[in-house]
Parts: sequence; C-alpha cells; structure tokens
Amino acid sequence: MPSRTSSRTLDFEALYRSARDDVYAYVATLLRDRAAAEDVTAAAFERAYSKQRTYKAGRGSERAWLFGIARNAALDELRRRKRSAALTAEPADTRATAPEDAVETALRRAAVRVALAQIDPRERELVALKFHAGLDNAEIAAVLGVSVSNAGTQLHRAMTKLREAVDNA
Amino acid sequence: MPDTTPDVERELAALEDALAGRRVAPELTELGELALLLREERPEPSPAFGVRLDAKLAAGFRDPEPRRASERRWWTPLLGAPALGMAATVLVITVIAVAGPFDGADGGGSTTDGGAMSATEGGAESTGGGATGATPGAALDEALPEAARSSGAEDAATSSAESLPPSVVPPTAGEGSPGSDGRERRSVERSASLTLAARPRDIDAVSARIQDETRRQGGFVVSSTVSSSSGGGDGTFELRIPARNLDAAMAALSRLGKVRERSQRSQDITAAVVSARSRLKDARTERQSLLRQLGEATTVTATQAVRARLRIVSEEIEQARAGVRRIGNRAAFSSVMVMLIADGSVAPPVQDDNWTPGDAAQDALRVLEVAAGVALIVLAVALPVALLAAAAAVAARWSRRRRREHALDAV
Repeated sequence: MPSRTSSRTLDFEALYRSARDDVYAYVATLLRDRAAAEDVTAAAFERAYSKQRTYKAGRGSERAWLFGIARNAALDELRRRKRSAALTAEPADTRATAPEDAVETALRRAAVRVALAQIDPRERELVALKFHAGLDNAEIAAVLGVSVSNAGTQLHRAMTKLREAVDNA
Repeated sequence: MPDTTPDVERELAALEDALAGRRVAPELTELGELALLLREERPEPSPAFGVRLDAKLAAGFRDPEPRRASERRWWTPLLGAPALGMAATVLVITVIAVAGPFDGADGGGSTTDGGAMSATEGGAESTGGGATGATPGAALDEALPEAARSSGAEDAATSSAESLPPSVVPPTAGEGSPGSDGRERRSVERSASLTLAARPRDIDAVSARIQDETRRQGGFVVSSTVSSSSGGGDGTFELRIPARNLDAAMAALSRLGKVRERSQRSQDITAAVVSARSRLKDARTERQSLLRQLGEATTVTATQAVRARLRIVSEEIEQARAGVRRIGNRAAFSSVMVMLIADGSVAPPVQDDNWTPGDAAQDALRVLEVAAGVALIVLAVALPVALLAAAAAVAARWSRRRRREHALDAV
C-alpha cells in the first residue's frame, strides 16, 4: 500500500489535456511573446514528460508540479533572451469586440491590458497564475516556493497595484 | 510569514467568489469585475499549436527539439572525467586496502634472502685450525653431543674468522687438490636467521609454534629466551635444523609471523671435512703401525715406549673422530637464529594447514575487519567528495534559481 507521501502514478495525458492551455496562457503572459510562449510551453511539457517519474504527490498537486516546470522553462527563456520586457509580440486580442459591448467595458478591458503590461513582472506572474492559469492560492504558493498566506498577500498586493494602474490608465 | 488582515482575506475571498461565479459583496464589485476581466484577457493558444503539441504527446515526446547550445550546461562534459577519476581512486584504494594486510603472511617485508656464499676451500687446517668460517660453527659444536666433547683448535680458528664476513674470507691456496678435497661431493654448511614480528598477545603462541615446527622438521632447539608482557614481549631461538629441511623449515617459520628480516648463508667446508678425515686416517694408520711395532717389540722398554705412544695416538684418534663428527654435523645441521618481536600492527599468524572452524571464524573476522577498513577508507575519501559535490549541487541549484529570479526582475 503506497504511503501518502510516496509517488503515485501520474496520468500525464490527463494532466496535459487539462493544463495545456493554462500553461500556455501563463507562459504567454509571463513572456509577453506568443511565439516564444509556444516554444516554452512545448519545452515545459517535454521536460515534464521526461521527469514524470520524479513527481511526488506529497509535494503538491500535479498542476503545481507542472507549473513549476513551466515557470523554470519560462525563466530560462527570459535568461536566454537577456532582454527586458520589450514586447516582440504583444498578445493580440483575438476576441472580436462585440458591437453590443458597452463602451465602458471595452475601455476598461483596454485599461486592464495596459495596466497588466505596466505592473512588475512578479506581480504579473501572480496574475497569470491566478487568472490565466486558474491555480488556487495553495498551488500558486507551491509554484513560487512560498507559503499559502504569503502567496495570498502577494496576490492581494499585485491586485492592489493593478487596480491603481487601471485607474491611472 | 506575513499575516493576512481581515480586509485582505475579504478581498481575496471576493476574487474567488467572482471567479466561481458567486455573488460578491457590493463594496467589492469592482474588484470582482476586475478579476473577470483579467480572466477574459487570458491568452489562448492557436489551434495549430494545440495540434502540434498533441502530436508530440502522441509520439511520447520522443523527438524533442535539440537543446539550444546556449541551454547546454557547460559542466555537462566534465561530468565524465571526475566520475571516472573518482571511481579509479576508490578502486585503487580498495585494492591497496585489501592486498595490504595480507603482505606479511606470505613472507614479505624486508627479506634479505640467500646470503653470501663463500667458497673458502681449504680451511687453515694445516696451519693449526680451519678457517671454516661462520659463527654457527661454534654454536653447533656446543649444541651437538659429539661436538661438545672437545673443542679443538678448529674452534679457535673459527672464532678468528668471525671477524671477516664470509664473502671475504680468503681462500687458502694449495689446500685440497681436486682429487683430494672431494670436489665431486662438496660439504656445505648452511645457516640462516629470521626476524619475525607477531602481535603481543601471540608471542607465547608463536614461540611454542616455533619450537613445534623445529621438532617437526627434525631439528631441535639449542636455546630459547622468551619474555612476554601485556604490552609486548620478544623471543630469541637458536635452532638446529637438518640441512635438507632448511628451506622447508624457513618457509614454515616465516608463516608464523610477519617476516621483518630473513637471511641465509652458505659456506663450503669441504676442505675442513677432508682435513678431519685425513687426520683420523693418519692417526689410525699410525696406530696400526704402532700395533705392529708392539708385536715386534722384544724388550720391556721398547714395549712400554710403544704402548705410551699408542695411548697418545688413541687419544688423537678419538679427537680426530670427534672432529669428523663435528664437521659432519655442521654440514648436516643448519643453524637458524630466530628473533621474535612484538608488533601490535601485525596480522594474526596463519595457524596451520588444517582449516578448522576456529580458523573459519578468524578468517571471517579478518574479512570483516578488512571490509570495515575498506569501507572506512572509501568513506573517508567519498564523504568529503560527496559533501563537496552536494555543496556544489546546492550552490549550483541556488545560483540557477537566483539567476532565474533575476531574469524575472530584469523583464
């Protein structure tokens, strides 16, 4: 009978199916480069596939483990590029604005996009993990290597700055 | 660890409620809307990318893209050499550790085998004693019953020759022609000395085994001195071993402890043997002559004179006979000096050829000792290396993590 902390079989395909778009969204927000995000997402899944035997259930959820790998891959890409946040390809808004959308909502959406680009990368990463990847606070804490309360505090701080940025946008 | 305030908790809860589609408190409606807007801003992958990645998954990521040169770790090629070097070091240490403790058991050490052989043909017998050379000669004379009966002029000559090493004893020219010195059957006196080291607690046992081995080889102990104490001890043995068994005896004695020194010496004493025999023969011939003279004597005076001479000659015959036996014993028995010293670092002596359960237990203990020693050495080498490697790994991990975080800061 496997112990609680021992590794258990990882259903990699199921994890892939459930997290593929989330990983991409997180990486794309972090890198702000869609082409690079595709490469990094693919690399992250390759790493995860080759390391799936090292997954330990006791260390966190499968998603947290996968996003940890994706985060390292994204940061490696940032290091490799050694350039700052200058966008090579700002994620385009592929969603057509519905004519019936209120102007107020459209303006607010644009303001959010601008604010997201202005805030600190670490805070943007928190936003990406929370709202683009859909991780809960415990999973965010596992990915970043901090406590859950610390993750919550950081997230709240990021949201506060984002709100300020939106207001100023 | 920061503690979240109630306000923070409430706003975080509002975010969760908004994302879950639950109702948000009126004063936090704006925050909830922001959460929803953020979620709507989530980048979506292109369908083509999804298809490509799905295909890779189906292929089991067997053909991953080659790692970029900049992503290759510079230390990867170096992994092979240190690993091989460390493995070789551990192997060498293991071999040394395993081989080392058994060196002494098979007669290693500073053995100086095969001492000098000096062909001192024709000892100075005709000049009043034989320069037949070696120290063991005198000891043999004392030890052997026959030799103990007399101490001829030869002994004095022997002691005088002791000051010269056997190899430089000058051969005396003219003594013993090839026909007269029995060159076709040489008489050789052999002697040996052996210094053995044994554990202090084994001194008594090894002493007893030296004497047993001497008897087993057909020899005897001329003298022995053994002292043992809790901290050490030593022993000195003067042995006589039949010359034909000398090699076997030396081999057997060498197995009783760690050989510190071993030497053997050979000395040709053919001339001395021939001289002794000639003297005996001459004396017998003279006795025969005297007996004939006694039979032919017609006067009391002549008879008495012949009888007096006969007594002298008879004594000379006895002395010559003893001399022949003495010199024969010197060739037949080899003198062996064994010095036994205590040394705590010496391995236990080899018992005998019969392998008993006690031997098995001792062997097992020895194997365990060696294994423990090897393990200790390996540990002594491997532990610092492992600690360094672990520290390097931790440092590398920490450095890589820091560089990654720094990369995020630089965005």
